[in-house]
Amino acid sequence: MRKKIIALVLSVLMIGLCFALAGCGDKKPAADSDLAYIKDKGTLVIGITDFAPMDFQKKGSEEWVGFDADLAKKFAESLGVKAEFQLIEWDYKTTELDGKTIDCVWNGMTLTEEVKAAMDCSKPYCNNQQIVIVPADKAADYQTAEACKDLQFAVENGSAGEEVATEFGFKITEVENQASALQEVAAGTCDAAIIDSLMAAAMVGEGTSYANLTYTVGLNDEEYGVGFRKGSDVVAVFNAFLEEAIADGTVDAIAETYDVQAALIK
Amino acid sequence: MAQFFQQFPTVFAALNVGFLQTLKLFICTLLGALPLGLLISFGSMSKFKPLSLVTRLIVWVVRGTPLMIQLLIIFFFPGLVWGKPIWGGGESGRFLAATVAFIINYACYFSEIYRGGIQSIPVGQHEASQVLGLTKSQTFFRVVLLQVVKRIVPPMSNEIITLVKDTSLARIIALQEIIWAGQSFMKGSHGIAGQIWPLFFTGVYYLLFSGILTLLFNKLEKKLSYFKV
Amino acid sequence: MAILEVQNIHKSFGRTEVLKGISFSLEKGNVLSIIGSSGSGKTTLLRCINFLETADTGRITVDGDVIFDSDTQAKLSPREKRDKQLKIGLVFQQFNLFPQYNVLDNVTLAPRLRAKEREDYKKNKKQINAEIEEKAKALLEKMGLSDKLQNYPCELSGGQQQRVSIARAMALEPKILFFDEPTSALDPELTGEILKVIRELAEEHMTMVIVTHEMNFAKDVSDHIVFMDHGVIAEEGRAEDLFNNPQSERLKAFLNNYD
Repeated sequence: MRKKIIALVLSVLMIGLCFALAGCGDKKPAADSDLAYIKDKGTLVIGITDFAPMDFQKKGSEEWVGFDADLAKKFAESLGVKAEFQLIEWDYKTTELDGKTIDCVWNGMTLTEEVKAAMDCSKPYCNNQQIVIVPADKAADYQTAEACKDLQFAVENGSAGEEVATEFGFKITEVENQASALQEVAAGTCDAAIIDSLMAAAMVGEGTSYANLTYTVGLNDEEYGVGFRKGSDVVAVFNAFLEEAIADGTVDAIAETYDVQAALIK
Repeated sequence: MAQFFQQFPTVFAALNVGFLQTLKLFICTLLGALPLGLLISFGSMSKFKPLSLVTRLIVWVVRGTPLMIQLLIIFFFPGLVWGKPIWGGGESGRFLAATVAFIINYACYFSEIYRGGIQSIPVGQHEASQVLGLTKSQTFFRVVLLQVVKRIVPPMSNEIITLVKDTSLARIIALQEIIWAGQSFMKGSHGIAGQIWPLFFTGVYYLLFSGILTLLFNKLEKKLSYFKV
Repeated sequence: MAILEVQNIHKSFGRTEVLKGISFSLEKGNVLSIIGSSGSGKTTLLRCINFLETADTGRITVDGDVIFDSDTQAKLSPREKRDKQLKIGLVFQQFNLFPQYNVLDNVTLAPRLRAKEREDYKKNKKQINAEIEEKAKALLEKMGLSDKLQNYPCELSGGQQQRVSIARAMALEPKILFFDEPTSALDPELTGEILKVIRELAEEHMTMVIVTHEMNFAKDVSDHIVFMDHGVIAEEGRAEDLFNNPQSERLKAFLNNYD
């Protein structure tokens, strides 16, 4: 008798667990207005990672600045809410959005097919390339994609760089983030890395953290956008805001501060 | 080397902020899990079968699944399934969710240590208390408890020192504890990038902290050495 | 009038009937020894009388008060049960001292906790506790332990520990003191000091019930002997009669083993 009861309790719990976990997989469109929800709580929580020149902290400062961060503050202001920057684990960006622990992902996010399937994204606002990083002294040998095909590449797990590398049939080692990929090249554990050109501009080459590395080939063209929850009505509001900010020169001014004006999409 | 000394103050400040978060999580977990574990151990030893069964089932589930998954479930579940992000998305919400997950997890581990300790007290201690007219609660608090404490100090100190290091798991829900702070300098933070030494340096914090705890536990053990159980 | 009356105690563990209807009585100031081979039920009987086991049927009366009645037992509150139980005290085979308390605190713990239930406790707290301590010290002096008040049980010999536990049981002023094989856990050379203490208590007319394997001691100190065998009282009577002139074959066989 007791065994039967145990079995019953166990099975009920297991079935419950299955339903609960299945529930996590559902992508329910936001039932009510997402805009109203954000305005109601008075904060726009912006999911970011530390990523110069888009979202970063200057030495000795706790304030988040950067091309994305500054524009995000303006957007929050236009909504009449407070901008709150929250560091996230990049792998969990969609979960964070769906779980409403953040309200948008705004962090130099490449609009890949996966991203566009998982979130509702804004119009693209910035161009980017996936580019090859190699040690500066070997750069001359690897100026074309063809020349790079025998190298061992370090790429960020699940990144646009990994997607491109797979398309080209490169041998890859997956690492946790783009900085780790650079670290692999600097340490000689990988021959090359593939990272975002905007990031490379800030982190690679003379006068940066990785003075011994340089970038050679651009492998593709891609665009950055801001990600919102599926079905969110904030997307349209943001697109209108962006159009206006471009028109009145706000975007240009911020871009010049962080040296990304060449990549802007207008 | 010059670069190291130039970077050190920035890194040190960031690691201190991270360590403070680690320490807060550690202390809050202990404050919650030490008493909750006792309640759970009473539940699992209850003569009322359904209660002890359910309690043991919970302990089994919590001890049988990774803390990392429990963190993710506790943090994301409310928002994803019920559409109500009860924790909020900010740092304080993440800290609260992490604390709840850690308290539940560690209370279950502690409860098993308590249970072992309580059950190892000879039945004669209970019988002597009974014939001397002590109530059940007097028996527990005046007679049994200190003997249990003496018996469980070694396994508890083990578990608590493990907790010091387990706090780093909270980074999965982006709680910016010391490992997160150390790692941020690899990717780039506060104008320093591509540096792995801050991450290695966090080890010094853990080592010092667990060293202090070990000393405290040794002191406690010594303090309780005046009697034998 | 008998100070202790035990009537028709039955006790089974599962299908094994360990006590098959035990009845006996004891006069005030007398000493009764319960003897019998292992498994005869004498320890179970003692545990039933001391509430460590609950008898299936039966009635126990101390000094005119019914302290146990299988028909009404379930209706009593824990507090009523405790009050009734404290009319008797028990000394264990394994002493069961509280290891974290020193000798004095082992003796005073229960009286102090009990005193807290007194209505005048808050008013006379200091005085009450001082009285408890004085009494405990007097008891320990009687046990020859005046120089061990601050020692912990682990620092004492088995005989000393058993003397502390006798003092602890007496501190609550029970009307009857029970002993469960008080010397069985002691080295042979230490049994003498315990037997001496019990003999002294007998001379002061403390009412006592002793379960023991020490036949010579039982013969010497007891007024009355109960011989148990297979869950029944096979024979009982005055000590000298029972030992010098056993009637039943079973008692004869049992006593022969000790010669």
